[in-house]
Amino acid sequence: MSSSSPPDPRLDVAEIEEAEEIETTPRTERALGDQGGPRGRGGGWVTLAWGLPGFIWLAFYLVAPLTFIVLVSFWTRTDTGFVRDWTTADYGALLHPFNLDNSYWKNMLTSFETSLIAVAACLVFGFPVAYFLAMKVEKLQNQIALFIIALAPFWTSFLTRSVAWAYPLMGREGALNQFLIKVHIVSQPVDAFGFSTLSVRLAMIQLYILFMVTPLFFLLGQVDRYAIEAARDLGGNWFSVFKEIILPQTMPGIVIGSIFIFVLTMGEYGTVAVIGQGAVSSVGTFIQQQVLGIQYPQGAASAVLLVVVLIFGVFGITRFANLREEL
Amino acid sequence: MTEDAVGPTEGAAGAAPSEQRGSGLDLIALTKEFTGGVVAVDDVNLHVDHGEYVVLLGPSGCGKTTTLRMIGGHEYPTGGDIVLDGQSLGGLPPHKRPTTTVFQHFALFPHRSVLDNVSFGLKMDKMPKHARRARAMEALEMVGLTELASRKPRALSGGQQQRVALARVLVTKPKALLLDEPLGDLDRLLQLRMRGELRNLQRPLGLMFIHVTHNQEEALSMADRIVVMNDARIQQIADPLTIATRPATELVARFMGDNNIIRGKLAERDGDRLVIEDEHGVRASVHAPGDKRAPGDAAMVSVRAAAVEIAAADGPAPLNAADCEIIFVEFLGDLVKVHLTSGGERLLVKVPGERYPALRGREGERVRISWKEEDVQLLSA
Amino acid sequence: MTSAAEAAATRPQDRVTTRQPKRRRDWAKWGLGTYFVIFLVFLYAPMILMAILSFQGYYGGVTFPFRGPAGFDWWRSIFETQVGGVFTHAEDIRAAGERSLWISLAAGAIVAFFAFTLSMAFRRRFRGDGVAFYVIMLALMTPGFLLGLGTQLLWKAMGIQTSLWWSALGANSVWGIPFGFLVMLAVWNRYDEHIEEAASDLGANLVTTFREVTLPLVWTGIFGAALFGFTLTWNDFDRTVLLVLDNTLPLQIVGLIQASAIRPDLYALGTATTLVTLFLIFSVLIAVTIRLRLRGRRVDRVEEELGLDGAIDVEAAAQAGGFGA
Repeated sequence: MSSSSPPDPRLDVAEIEEAEEIETTPRTERALGDQGGPRGRGGGWVTLAWGLPGFIWLAFYLVAPLTFIVLVSFWTRTDTGFVRDWTTADYGALLHPFNLDNSYWKNMLTSFETSLIAVAACLVFGFPVAYFLAMKVEKLQNQIALFIIALAPFWTSFLTRSVAWAYPLMGREGALNQFLIKVHIVSQPVDAFGFSTLSVRLAMIQLYILFMVTPLFFLLGQVDRYAIEAARDLGGNWFSVFKEIILPQTMPGIVIGSIFIFVLTMGEYGTVAVIGQGAVSSVGTFIQQQVLGIQYPQGAASAVLLVVVLIFGVFGITRFANLREEL
Repeated sequence: MTEDAVGPTEGAAGAAPSEQRGSGLDLIALTKEFTGGVVAVDDVNLHVDHGEYVVLLGPSGCGKTTTLRMIGGHEYPTGGDIVLDGQSLGGLPPHKRPTTTVFQHFALFPHRSVLDNVSFGLKMDKMPKHARRARAMEALEMVGLTELASRKPRALSGGQQQRVALARVLVTKPKALLLDEPLGDLDRLLQLRMRGELRNLQRPLGLMFIHVTHNQEEALSMADRIVVMNDARIQQIADPLTIATRPATELVARFMGDNNIIRGKLAERDGDRLVIEDEHGVRASVHAPGDKRAPGDAAMVSVRAAAVEIAAADGPAPLNAADCEIIFVEFLGDLVKVHLTSGGERLLVKVPGERYPALRGREGERVRISWKEEDVQLLSA
Repeated sequence: MTSAAEAAATRPQDRVTTRQPKRRRDWAKWGLGTYFVIFLVFLYAPMILMAILSFQGYYGGVTFPFRGPAGFDWWRSIFETQVGGVFTHAEDIRAAGERSLWISLAAGAIVAFFAFTLSMAFRRRFRGDGVAFYVIMLALMTPGFLLGLGTQLLWKAMGIQTSLWWSALGANSVWGIPFGFLVMLAVWNRYDEHIEEAASDLGANLVTTFREVTLPLVWTGIFGAALFGFTLTWNDFDRTVLLVLDNTLPLQIVGLIQASAIRPDLYALGTATTLVTLFLIFSVLIAVTIRLRLRGRRVDRVEEELGLDGAIDVEAAAQAGGFGA
């Protein structure tokens, strides 16, 4: 034990001199200390005991249903449901006439377009909100108070907010049309405000913008304000400061927000049903139609294809930032 | 230097007698290797008496905190043993050990009042409510915080929190008190004041205090004995005066700061008197009985910056002197640090602040510095 | 001192400024502030319009203009079976409301429990923690009606009728767990592990430490997780619709929409459920704020540190420190 090879003195001297200069907390020691300790020693079993119930619950109520969708998508339809006869017929039906006349892909395209618009609009309209809260409100208390006021609608029902959006505000006789006629911007009520794709898309922004504002707010709060001042000192105008300093540091937030909004809007069902009132369809309403028609395997296959599209979309979005490293 | 080489414990003499006179604390070949192969503590041997104030001093990552955490039971050793009054603490969890720790950030229970914080340990001992309140109030009286007993920790200042942390551990009457950078969170003025308060608390209690810090000044001002650690091992164990004036190794000399190091070869030897010469011709003599070096062998000595004088140069530099160029005159109020070079490593001279007017603006001039032989210390590698 | 020092000390140009700097208005701040207000209007306006229209009279429609006389008739109609001789949906609404309340409370408890236990597991690194983390996040990313569809198919294959308590509750809690889990992760991030070590130092064993120190300190986070579980379930439609026969409140609202004629009682019901949620959120926030205030603030003044706030031994300290003068 006692006689291992002597340490290289020069190396140690360098370390010592460094330690002399900077009197900080012994970070290395603490980092090392966290690995060990009595809690860490029996860690395996303790962790298992804490984690197991939750993962059993998730396995039964999350993983199993999702896996089962994949299985059913390869099974055969009967009049009352499905039997375990393996077939790829449903995928064939969905994929074979791979042209835009196929209503599934038409819906997919519409939903995709809606999602892209929602992501872009939430970013453009949400960024100034997050920027204002994180950079222009001085006290942290006020920041959090204003943030919570902005966040509170998130906890209320999406459905109720859709109703509130669709009927009193939008629609042929909605408040918006009445207002526009009164101030003589339009002479006729705008039909597009009715149960339309436009109305659905506007509502999506309203419903999901907080998923963009929240991560942006947290990341902007971490941006060093002195770094911004230093960049201005070095001759950057506001645009180059934004592009070189602020944007790179908030990229992970943009990516996270985009993933949320993309996935949630692609998978939308309730909002489209309420605001669109049957006049607007999405992948969600399409699958719902199949399920109501007891075409379970085809519905499942449609759902699996939707998930494939979602995975590709999420993968594409993550190209913009290395989340593992930056968070 | 990995053994507890320094003899009787100088500081313990002044401490008041205490009931718990056992054999004290022994760390025997204590070793800690973390998963992944990092050896944080390597073969540490140390004996601490009851009533002694020992400071573990060293740079970040030297293993001092891990050593302390092993004594407290927050880490388990991978080799060696910890024995307190003849009882091995080896596998005992923290709550079964007669040791308590004052943590760097105090680790007070934020949801409990000051009084409940202090009486927590007694509650764990199943002491009835009235008795433990009385005892806790006594402890708070000792640290002067009785009026704040009902406050929550967050409503206290840093210094007050520190005292609550002290009262909380003292009330359980531990055999050894472990302090992990206890003054690290306080601002500088308060740190200076708490040094005195801690020492004045420890003496009458006659308790064993083991204090971890990376602050040299703090160690020198508080310890009965200082244990200097580096790279998982003990470098030197000695009283503060010895550590400050007679560093045993180059590492200690550099870590304690303001030591001039002359690295060269043994030029001549006259009995126990050695003369060391570096490559630029600077020569220093040192009295080193028992040293077995032959002329031509590598050798290294150190001289404290405060023991060096600036003199006028005439003729070639004699023994224990060097001709240097002034690089920078650093005025620090009470004292002046003059940085010099003789061609090799930088040298440093500390003189009283009154001499600043005579030194100001003399960068670039050549001067002679000199020192006395008794201030030269032979270093082991 | 020497003449050089004196020369350096006095220069006629040197002056100590006592004037306050002029405050310039931050136009970007005002502009963005205005934008923020417009943003809030955008978020809240639909709900406010809905609330106003719910106070219309008997002939009230679903859009403006407001048809008076203003009153609580439509509000009464969601609580009373008969208002002014007209039969209402109050019976169904009451039943749906009760179902929603109980199921949401249950979901809150389940989410709190699993969010806490899962986060405890994640306090230490373990093999496969990356995959495990993604499984929890999967619950967040799965579109609601997909989960509903999968659950329906699975239970159908098992030959069991899906129900509010056995399947919809599970699907809803799965949606809340990742939110609660993230809340708990944030709590642990700010948690000082040394506090637990201090407790064990003072003689508390693992169970006592957990009960006396750990749990009280993260209680707020657990409550937050429960709040997520409650509100997400209280408002859910996508996950529930395929699984239950008996309506919950959101399903009842859709039922009212699909009824032959939409009436302002829909608005009253929508406003009522929204108010329940907002009331819950803000009362919890206010309670937490008050609690944090009561814990008191830290004293930062050096004078108090060094002043007459009691000391172990003032004279000795002054001698040792020598900084008083």
